[in-house]
Amino acid sequence: MQVEVNDAELVRRIGSGDDREAEAELFRRMAPRIRLYGLRHLRNEAAAEDLMQQVLVTTLEALRARRLREPDKFAAFVLGTCRMTVLELRRGAQRKERLLQRFGPDLPVSVPPSMPQLDQEHLTRCLQNLKERERSVIVMSFYDEQAGADVAKFLGMSEANVRVIRHRAVHQLRECMGAA
Amino acid sequence: MSTESHIDAAVLADYWLGILSDPEGEAIEEHLLECDACGARLREIIAVAEGIRNVARGGALRMVVSDAFLECLSGDGARIRQYTVPAGAGVQCTVTAGDDLLIGRLAADISGGKRVDLCFYDERGVEQVRLMDIPVPLGQGSIIYQESITFAKAAPDSMMTARLLSFDEAGGESVLGEYTFHHTRSLPGPGLQR
Repeated sequence: MQVEVNDAELVRRIGSGDDREAEAELFRRMAPRIRLYGLRHLRNEAAAEDLMQQVLVTTLEALRARRLREPDKFAAFVLGTCRMTVLELRRGAQRKERLLQRFGPDLPVSVPPSMPQLDQEHLTRCLQNLKERERSVIVMSFYDEQAGADVAKFLGMSEANVRVIRHRAVHQLRECMGAA
Repeated sequence: MSTESHIDAAVLADYWLGILSDPEGEAIEEHLLECDACGARLREIIAVAEGIRNVARGGALRMVVSDAFLECLSGDGARIRQYTVPAGAGVQCTVTAGDDLLIGRLAADISGGKRVDLCFYDERGVEQVRLMDIPVPLGQGSIIYQESITFAKAAPDSMMTARLLSFDEAGGESVLGEYTFHHTRSLPGPGLQR
């Protein structure tokens, strides 16, 4: 039975020498995770892809130079890098090109987006099966993602109560959609 | 937050919507950088969120909505056909191929009552649809009802009556308003009777 090496062990192996296999494995794991962070903060697939590449090359640079002293804090290190890179992207910083020129050839092949495919008609039926308030809350919340307070005001409820309704609706939708 | 304990899907939805506190959001982000199971769950939430946006844009749902929601859709280019109907009145209505959403603004004093239902009746007075316990916006004097554009585009010439019914604590029912829609089909297809 093959035991999967944890992230910290891969970090140690990268720091201890020229271990391209460990680099490839760590990048294979981290790329989709970083892209998710990018999607959440940048709301755009292409920008999330940019973020992923920049964070990976910055991370590679740091690991090869052994700047991460505590491999067990690798996730916190990547998160900090993600945050700084989002700020840089928003400021329009162009460090990307320089880093990509230096480390780009070492990056693994781009990881394809992996959003699940949805049956739109099934989703429509599931939404229509929700209770009226649940449907209004969930549709209005997800359509206009800034509208949390507006939805609460519209319903004459506290945001905490709207949250309870939204949580119930999310669970019911997932169940209806056959989520694991 | 360890990778042994996974994040509830509804909390991931809150994270995606950006409505968690900074410490909560940061704890989730650190967890997501270590846990692929929660990452897969978040991808599923994102797909559902995008699906909901598409369904909302498609106008196929029957639901009560807010002005802010309509403004947002309109800002995104949705073409909205609206009819404003006072209580006790009727309106001639139709829907065209270019319409994305069909809205009825039903005027009523909706300040009291424990529960409000919105019911639709056919020409024989038989109840066809009941939306139970609808959201009641405070101080607006009307309900903004979105009819399914899919249903409306397929409907033949017909008359439909809507009633807003209020229920008190004891279950007593009162009519807040009655609204008649005289629908004329303007799209070609099997429902066109002329």
